[in-house]
Amino acid sequence: MKNISWWKWLGVILIVYTFLAGMLVPLGHGIVEINPRSVKTGEQAQFTLVGYNSHYEQDKDGLRAWLKLDDEHAIGAKEIRVKGDRILELDFDIPAYLPVSKRVQDFSLILDSETDGTAVLPTAVLVTQDSIDEEKGVSAWKNSAITGLTVTTGMTFPFRAIIYETIRNTYFHVALWLSMMLLFIAAVVYSIRYVRDPQPIWDSKARAFTSVGLFFGILGLVTGMIWAAYTWGKPWSNDVKQITTAIALLVYLAYFILRSAFEDPEQKGRISAVYNIFAFVLLIPLIYVIPRMVDSLHPGAGGNPAFGSEDLDSTMRMVFYPAIIGWALIGAWIANLQYRMDAIREKWIENLD
Amino acid sequence: MQIFKEIGVLLNKELKLEWRNKYAISGILLYVGATVFIVYMAFFEMEPLTWVILFWVIMLFASVNAITKSFTQESKKRQLYFYSLVNPTALLLSKVIYNSLLLLLISFLIWGGLSLFVGNMVVNVQPFLIAICFGSLGFAVTFTFVSAISAKTDNSASLMAILSFPLIIPILVTLVNLSKNAIEPLASEGVQGDVTMLLAIDLIVLGMALLLYPYLWRD
Repeated sequence: MKNISWWKWLGVILIVYTFLAGMLVPLGHGIVEINPRSVKTGEQAQFTLVGYNSHYEQDKDGLRAWLKLDDEHAIGAKEIRVKGDRILELDFDIPAYLPVSKRVQDFSLILDSETDGTAVLPTAVLVTQDSIDEEKGVSAWKNSAITGLTVTTGMTFPFRAIIYETIRNTYFHVALWLSMMLLFIAAVVYSIRYVRDPQPIWDSKARAFTSVGLFFGILGLVTGMIWAAYTWGKPWSNDVKQITTAIALLVYLAYFILRSAFEDPEQKGRISAVYNIFAFVLLIPLIYVIPRMVDSLHPGAGGNPAFGSEDLDSTMRMVFYPAIIGWALIGAWIANLQYRMDAIREKWIENLD
Repeated sequence: MQIFKEIGVLLNKELKLEWRNKYAISGILLYVGATVFIVYMAFFEMEPLTWVILFWVIMLFASVNAITKSFTQESKKRQLYFYSLVNPTALLLSKVIYNSLLLLLISFLIWGGLSLFVGNMVVNVQPFLIAICFGSLGFAVTFTFVSAISAKTDNSASLMAILSFPLIIPILVTLVNLSKNAIEPLASEGVQGDVTMLLAIDLIVLGMALLLYPYLWRD
């Protein structure tokens, strides 16, 4: 056990942490659905709301709800009745006019709970009006300012519509993908070292890192397809990133076919190193430029929310960054075993002669 | 300027070689003609978008066929002779320039053939000409370099396809995007971006090929 270097321990610890934290930390408070989705102006509207990971029974007095258009225009709920830990009934007096000069306007629902924190359902309710009077509407919708929202402490992952619990896949799909890029970069660095100084060890390392990178790429693709099956409805939707990924995998599979075409180890090492560098450089426009020019179902493209500062909250970062490092270290460990096996095999063949 | 002189001499050699063994070039020309005719027999009439995509698919296969032989047509002994005489960069550049010119010729032939049988769908000539020029250059650089790799193996023809098809996709996708502008009466705003992208990929590929070829060529 003493012989195992520190970075391998670190990799194992980070991966164990990723699995435990990534799978066990609960999601935050959220709103799954609200009924009815559309009402008319001037109505006494009654909504039934279904929450997620909520404890409304414990929090009968601390609940507040708003229908919100923007920071200036919102109305508070007249009455909130708790029907269970996850079910609420909300009463709103919808004013006679809307604060906009349109017939239909969507409003978000904000629900604040002292125990669970704040939940938002964007475009929760459509309000329809028959006649338009913006000025009256503006004065009617000003009546309730949203203040004093509860800030909860403790570890929860954000609740997002459609994604729900699958948000945990961020630590596997996205992290595997990023660590795959790190492994491919390592492989290219060893390939460059090989063409500059043809020592068999560099070729062996380049091959090992490429094969682990390819393996992680396949894992990333499979986890992505599982995720897509739950969120986009089917595992393969001809999304631009899915296609470019398939191409990238073909490029690296071709690398192994190219290697198997040579007998002479020196020629095999040199030509596959040259191909590896060339292929990697061509993959950069393929993976990083083309997906940004075309619409994609992936977050961050075509109007979808990105996993930027808003979506990746501080709790997720606490798992996401260790996950990338952990996967990269585990990958480096697998590669390490592979090139050491190569060296042993070579010694063994030498001893046979 | 030794290198320009070398490139000139090598280019001259390529042209003379092609002229004396006419079977290679005439084979390619016949290939283009036959493919265009088969496409015409299969479709008779087609949408402009299909026309553009078929144009680039025919171009892709014709280019692979035309370029695969760049490094295999000369015997190992003659290559050894070249290595002792010229700079590797000059050798690669001469082949790239020759192949770009060849592909330019092929693409005009495909355009002409498709126009003759199916009709000319290109409304906006300028983006299409840009696509043809930069496309020929990109195809020529990538396929020439990959043919240099695959020529080292025994099974070069199938390896050529395996190695080059995934690698050519970034260029091909950009070309198809750029050519879509050519079939619409009004060019959209994306033309500039596509041209820049295509030029950038071409230059990157050319740079990498020139940088890596010296490591590849000697055996």
